[in-house]
Amino acid sequence: MSTGDLIHVVSGESLSERRIRAGRILIRGSFLVLVVVALLQIVNALGLAALGFTDWQPTAIAYVAWCVALCVGQVLIRGETGKRILFVLPSALFVVSLTVIPLILGIAIAFADWNLSSPTGPKFAGTANIERMLSDPFYWNALGNMVWYCLAIALELAVAFGLALLLNAQIRARRFFRVAFLLPLMLSPVAVSWMIGRSLLDFRAGPVADLMRALGWQDPAFFASPELAKITMSVLDAWIYIPFMMIMLLAGLQGLPGEVIEAAKVDGATAWQAFRKILFPLMLPVVLTAFVVRLIFKLKLADLVITITSGGPGGATDTVTSFIYREYRDRSNVGYGTLLAMFYLVIIVVGLTLLMRGLNRWMRPYA
Amino acid sequence: MRFKSAVVVATAAMVVAGALPAAAQDDAAALRAELLQIPGVGKGSPTDADWQKVGEMTLGPTKANIAEGECAGVNLTFMGLNNQNLHNNLFRGFLRPWEAYTGATIEWIDLAQADYNARLQQAIATGTVDFDITEMGAPFEGDTAGKGLLDPMPDWVAEQIDMEDYVGYLKAPIGTWGGETYRISIDGDTHTMAYRKDYFEDQALKDAWAAEGHEGEWAPPTTWEQMNEQAMFLKGKTDPLTGGPAYGVVDPLKYQWGGFGFYFLADRAVAYAKHPSSPAWLFNPEDMTPLVNTPGWVQAIQDVIDLNAAGAYPPDQLNADPNTTGFSQFLQGTGSSVLWWGDIGSNARTSDTSIVGDVVGFDINPGANKVYNWGTGEWEETANRSPMNAYIGWGIYVTNRVSGDELKRKCAWSAAAHLGGKDLSLWMAAYPSGFQPYRNSHFNYEEWVAAGYDAEFVEDYLSSNADSYNHPNAANEPRIPGIFQYYSVAEDELVKGIGSGATAQEIADAIAAAWEGITDQIGRESQLELYRASLGM
Repeated sequence: MSTGDLIHVVSGESLSERRIRAGRILIRGSFLVLVVVALLQIVNALGLAALGFTDWQPTAIAYVAWCVALCVGQVLIRGETGKRILFVLPSALFVVSLTVIPLILGIAIAFADWNLSSPTGPKFAGTANIERMLSDPFYWNALGNMVWYCLAIALELAVAFGLALLLNAQIRARRFFRVAFLLPLMLSPVAVSWMIGRSLLDFRAGPVADLMRALGWQDPAFFASPELAKITMSVLDAWIYIPFMMIMLLAGLQGLPGEVIEAAKVDGATAWQAFRKILFPLMLPVVLTAFVVRLIFKLKLADLVITITSGGPGGATDTVTSFIYREYRDRSNVGYGTLLAMFYLVIIVVGLTLLMRGLNRWMRPYA
Repeated sequence: MRFKSAVVVATAAMVVAGALPAAAQDDAAALRAELLQIPGVGKGSPTDADWQKVGEMTLGPTKANIAEGECAGVNLTFMGLNNQNLHNNLFRGFLRPWEAYTGATIEWIDLAQADYNARLQQAIATGTVDFDITEMGAPFEGDTAGKGLLDPMPDWVAEQIDMEDYVGYLKAPIGTWGGETYRISIDGDTHTMAYRKDYFEDQALKDAWAAEGHEGEWAPPTTWEQMNEQAMFLKGKTDPLTGGPAYGVVDPLKYQWGGFGFYFLADRAVAYAKHPSSPAWLFNPEDMTPLVNTPGWVQAIQDVIDLNAAGAYPPDQLNADPNTTGFSQFLQGTGSSVLWWGDIGSNARTSDTSIVGDVVGFDINPGANKVYNWGTGEWEETANRSPMNAYIGWGIYVTNRVSGDELKRKCAWSAAAHLGGKDLSLWMAAYPSGFQPYRNSHFNYEEWVAAGYDAEFVEDYLSSNADSYNHPNAANEPRIPGIFQYYSVAEDELVKGIGSGATAQEIADAIAAAWEGITDQIGRESQLELYRASLGM
């Protein structure tokens, strides 16, 4: 322990060699037990020996025991410092257990030939799932659709910014409108799908369809043509999530220093000049944050599509998530579905990383 | 009356009357008559109070096999559907008096139709079957009974539910696996054609049909060629009931319905592709090669493509799933005909949302003027008809979760038997329930007429069911694992192909390729073995 740490020490214990050795034995011993149990279970699972295991619970228990031993061992070996480590270590182990381990298992499943109806269970598939993905027109169609859906965020952002400016102004019933504009965000997308997509927009009995007929559109079928279905789906999704962006932007607007805008007005700047030269640059970090968060939401778009169109007509509204959902739900194709999800995850992580880096560079002049 | 229907009716009368002493016969007949007055035909949709009343009145067989309070402390989990607010919603009402009598309690897992397949498959594959009783179709018997997940039916249950009363195609081997019986049938599934009689009685349409030079009379169709021609003819005409646009048959062009939508293409295809010389129509029973891209199937897909291209469907048809075609379209006055399960018949007269009850007629599915013999690889220019016995009906199954606990097992089977009881089943066949007639005793027309149905309607509706069940060339689907995976991937390919302008052959080939992949993934040898067994080969 360095002298610099002494101010944080609340007990001046001296650690015996025996105690330190006990801690090391505890950690190493429990790890050894974990490895042995896991190996035995793998041997059993591979059919190399019949050891009577019916599930992976023994390995899970051995893993939890090792985690506990690791924590206790820190205190035994490091004393006061070990206690401080305990403030972080359980959380770290928890996160690792719920992210890293499932990720590793997910990667393993992604390379498996695993159909839930197969009596033989999962088998190693090599690169077969990747080859299938590369030639799967449904997947690439869904990825292509995602590009269009994501491009629509620019329009959503413009509308959200307009609404935020409106609600930031001194208008009547401002509080009412703030709550009213937030309502769509409070609704479940599945509820929106049924209430609007399948009821209000219904071709035969929907009031919106009736209104359209009254306005002269004879066949107001919102989900019959690929183009219109895609637009309608985008509008519904935008209706739900524009309030989310709006509230972020509104918070940003309210945090701006009012004197800067007032100074610009005193100097004779028009409203457009004040927006373009002062307000927007100041708001840019918030705008980009709203854009990125919305993009993440958009990439997960599925519930509306699943409920209203199932991806149709002709795959026009399909999203990657809704396609993976069908691959899992209807075809019980666990291995291939997992690979598609993993590949999508890689695209998202790489894409968002590049985007964030690019945005950081772009924003530097204003930073 | 058609001949086969007449035979069934005679059998029904014997079944209803024959097995009991005279006094007991009178009591049974009185009970059945009283049941059918709840709430009464034309008196609106039944409510939970009605379902409970029906459940209470049909407790007799339960009381004969289980003592009051015998199941106290037993908790059972029941997994089923909530389609159209039917299925589980009714079961809750039917079983509430049973719970009160036996002392057992039931927890419910409600699933939408499209989610059912996935939920069941995942429970099976991951070893997490968390329900004691399930509503399930016979196509899943390969996945469940084949894997030892079900509990075999005790003998007393078979007696209580009178299995001899089942129509022929629901008897063994349906519901059995490895010599054991696992299923209590509560439904007898077949698709039939429901059509609007007013379309074919409308003088303006008759005149227009003749004036346009169409061959034959303007009459309900019996072949798909006629169906297609009539759909083209009706484009731009006026619906005689609603005054809106007239349409022909309404196909669910949004086929994606968790695999169940594929039946609606099969309705068309089997007329062209189910040759009487073989029970096989989905796969070649020699090697599991798909038959879905043979010319008979391609013709069916081509028919749909042609009708869609000609604008013969309602404008929103690409987003119409089977629920839409059956309940939002046909029952609410859109389309001259629909191919659907028997629910259309029981809902036409008794559902609050139906406006076609007085003008609806029924027949078995249309046939075709030619049939493709996949065995010889040749088209045969001969009339062919093949009713589509889609899904083989829902049944109630008890899982092996109860096998180690005799009391729980008895209670689970008692609950299942209550739902599959002979008298209760008559009520379910006659009122909106999600189920259609499946017992010989259901075809006693007099009982239906006494309940308030008119004789012509009942004979028409029931005979379409009976004639489909008993048709010598009926298309029965195989009970092989993953059957809905095949259907589901076909739905995706159909929707993609029809929406993108692909040819019928391209769509069929894409389906076949996907099916080959599924067969290889699940295991060709095991699939072939089970497929042949299900065909009786």
